[in-house]
Amino acid sequence: MAKILGIDLGTTNSAMAIMEASGARVLENTEGNRTTPSIVALSKSGERLVGLVAKRQAVTNPHNTISSVKRFIGRKFTDEEVQHDKKVLSYEIKEAANNGVEVKMGDKQYKPEEISAMVLAKMKADAEAQLGEKIEEAIITVPAYFDDSQRQATKNAGEIAGLKVKRILNEPTAAALAYGLNKKTNEQIVVYDFGGGTFDVSVLEVGDDTVEVKSTGGDTHLGGDDFDKAIIDYLVSEYKKQEGTDISKDPLALQRLREAAEKAKHELSTAMETEINLPYISSDASGPKHFLMKLTRAKLEELVGDYIDKSIKLTLQAVKDAGFKPEDIDEVVLVGGQTRMPAIQAAVKKAFGKEPHKGINPDEVVAVGAAIQAGIIQGDVKDVLLLDVTPLSLGIETLGGVFTRLIEKNTTIPTAKSQVFSTAADSQTTVEIHVLQGEREMAADNKTLAKFILDGVPPAPRGVPQVEVTFDIDANGILNVSAKEKASGKTQSVRVEASSSLSKEEVEKLKNEAKAHEAEDKKKRELVELKNTAESTVYMAEKSLKDAGDKVPEDIKKAVTEKVEAVKAVKDGADPEAIKKSLGELSQELQKIGQYMYSQNDKSQSSNDQSNPNEGKPESENGEKNKN
Amino acid sequence: MEEKTKDEKLKKEEEVVEEVGGGELEKVQKERDEYLEGWKRAKADFLNYQKDERKRLAEAANYSREAVLADLLAVLDSVEMALAAVASSKDDAMKKGVEMIQLQLLDALKRHNLEKIKVSTGDNFDPNFHESIGEQEDKSMEPGKISAVVSSGYTINGKVVRPTRVKLAK
Repeated sequence: MAKILGIDLGTTNSAMAIMEASGARVLENTEGNRTTPSIVALSKSGERLVGLVAKRQAVTNPHNTISSVKRFIGRKFTDEEVQHDKKVLSYEIKEAANNGVEVKMGDKQYKPEEISAMVLAKMKADAEAQLGEKIEEAIITVPAYFDDSQRQATKNAGEIAGLKVKRILNEPTAAALAYGLNKKTNEQIVVYDFGGGTFDVSVLEVGDDTVEVKSTGGDTHLGGDDFDKAIIDYLVSEYKKQEGTDISKDPLALQRLREAAEKAKHELSTAMETEINLPYISSDASGPKHFLMKLTRAKLEELVGDYIDKSIKLTLQAVKDAGFKPEDIDEVVLVGGQTRMPAIQAAVKKAFGKEPHKGINPDEVVAVGAAIQAGIIQGDVKDVLLLDVTPLSLGIETLGGVFTRLIEKNTTIPTAKSQVFSTAADSQTTVEIHVLQGEREMAADNKTLAKFILDGVPPAPRGVPQVEVTFDIDANGILNVSAKEKASGKTQSVRVEASSSLSKEEVEKLKNEAKAHEAEDKKKRELVELKNTAESTVYMAEKSLKDAGDKVPEDIKKAVTEKVEAVKAVKDGADPEAIKKSLGELSQELQKIGQYMYSQNDKSQSSNDQSNPNEGKPESENGEKNKN
Repeated sequence: MEEKTKDEKLKKEEEVVEEVGGGELEKVQKERDEYLEGWKRAKADFLNYQKDERKRLAEAANYSREAVLADLLAVLDSVEMALAAVASSKDDAMKKGVEMIQLQLLDALKRHNLEKIKVSTGDNFDPNFHESIGEQEDKSMEPGKISAVVSSGYTINGKVVRPTRVKLAK
């Protein structure tokens, strides 16, 4: 089935997404970017350019570069907004025969929807190239305040681009959909959308299966670009104060400053302070001059504080227009790249007294919502087969009381995992399989599900027998654990009704407990593992000494024995550093045996000349240890 | 042994068929087809997912490398500015030194497939690789041609990370 493309046709940038089995996926355009500038141009050589390439020649081809055409789509020429915007445009618009707006590009007049269609056609083509299949249908989003004529014109733009427009969706509704808020009932939602050039706020009411727009507000000429400009103005004036030079007159300097300002703005969303460092920004009679200035988050917030205050005022006004008080609002959703700024998040949080939704990339959340709507229409979210997950990890106890996970929590079932373990002592003939569930590092802190013994393991040195343990959970959550000794083929198994025995609350409690003890458990586990390594290294060392017999001179033997004793002395202690140190020394001494034997006799058949302390960590009486 | 179990199974199935009525059988068969179809689909989905995942991983690795390289472009710019500034200097060793730093940086970046976009004045303007940031009077060439290179542009694996910024002849 052909897919329906979700398109966020923005004033400055557009984005698109598609629904896949695993969720909505934002598609990149052919330039490899996740957003496409909503700009169309006719180049001086008569070529039509769309997106980034159109933007790159805008400065020298202003009359034939059409940007922000969304401001005119479906509007009457006499509209106040149109008359206002007309003054700041670099291209020409005039009244069309139907009282609408016409845009001049080259020698021809275009309707705004024809310009938008060019952007949509590029997105359609890029999506097809990405997916390798034809796209014929789309869902396009529009601001909640768009009237019928603006919606119709947007729909026409889609049709001109060769897309069957399945639905025109409100941008705030799409954002709410992206966060799954459509599943709520009787909730009031505020969508705060601070984009590059426009600020929109909408109040939605979610009923049973419906989303109603209760009010809208905003400022069509307030956006992140104003923030950039405020930073640049500040930097220019500071530089003038310091050096007496006005760098705003130098286009290259200004270009570098603009990029640095944008980068600084982004950085200050995570850092408290950033440095703007631009060597050789200008020069005068005395030689080259450099630009080096610190910008703090506090300063940035001071520079743009008025804009943020204004947006909050407009937001509260919209809430009031909807007939609500701020405390009536159940959910707040942030949209638009500028909402990454901590000061904005804090201001919104303060206004409503609750944490806003912000997990999804705010530049893409509207496109994601459009794709989700497409998925609903397509009905391909066919959830006949609901697959469960294991709420907690499952595993067995191994040497030293460590909990070794075979199936990690949140694994989709049915599933099966196996791992090979071995014995910890020489001539060990039985192994106990202790099946556990939980998130703690040590077996004793987790819940025992079952215990069984596999006997009849052929006597062999520690670490040699191979016991394969398999965990198999079927679709009903029933766990089957089996252990098989590979040489004899002997098998034992047990069946546990694992996940059904715990309630949701219990699972949560266990997870929280694990989190609380995370650091301490990790230390404990590391110590046990270190101890295990120490024991197996001591074992290897003693075995090497025995195997080597008289072939190794006494002084080497004596040195190794000394180091072995040193490890034995500390291995049961609680100081990991001491164990590590003595272990390292032992390993080094051990190598000398191998080196000596090689140098003495190349024909040496001894295979015990190399010892790797990290291998073959076997076990004590009640556990088994991973060998691979 | 295998054969025998199969036979036994068949026999069992036949018995079951006898027990249930015709309508029941049809329903069960329909269900079986549905399940088999679902299973095949899931398996195919998974295989395709694995393939996609490998591709995405490669893309992600590329992407993170591009991000690092793009951050280094500002340093390259500064070195270029430094070179321009010392061009008039009489200190030849100093000049040479800065030039060598530039080469060193370019060499390192080249190993990660970063290439400078080659532009000369008089070239045609191509927004796929160039960005115009202004115009200037230039009698020596046709209007619209590249009259000055303001800052260098770069590609990584053939993809433009930053276009060359140019001024066009008026």
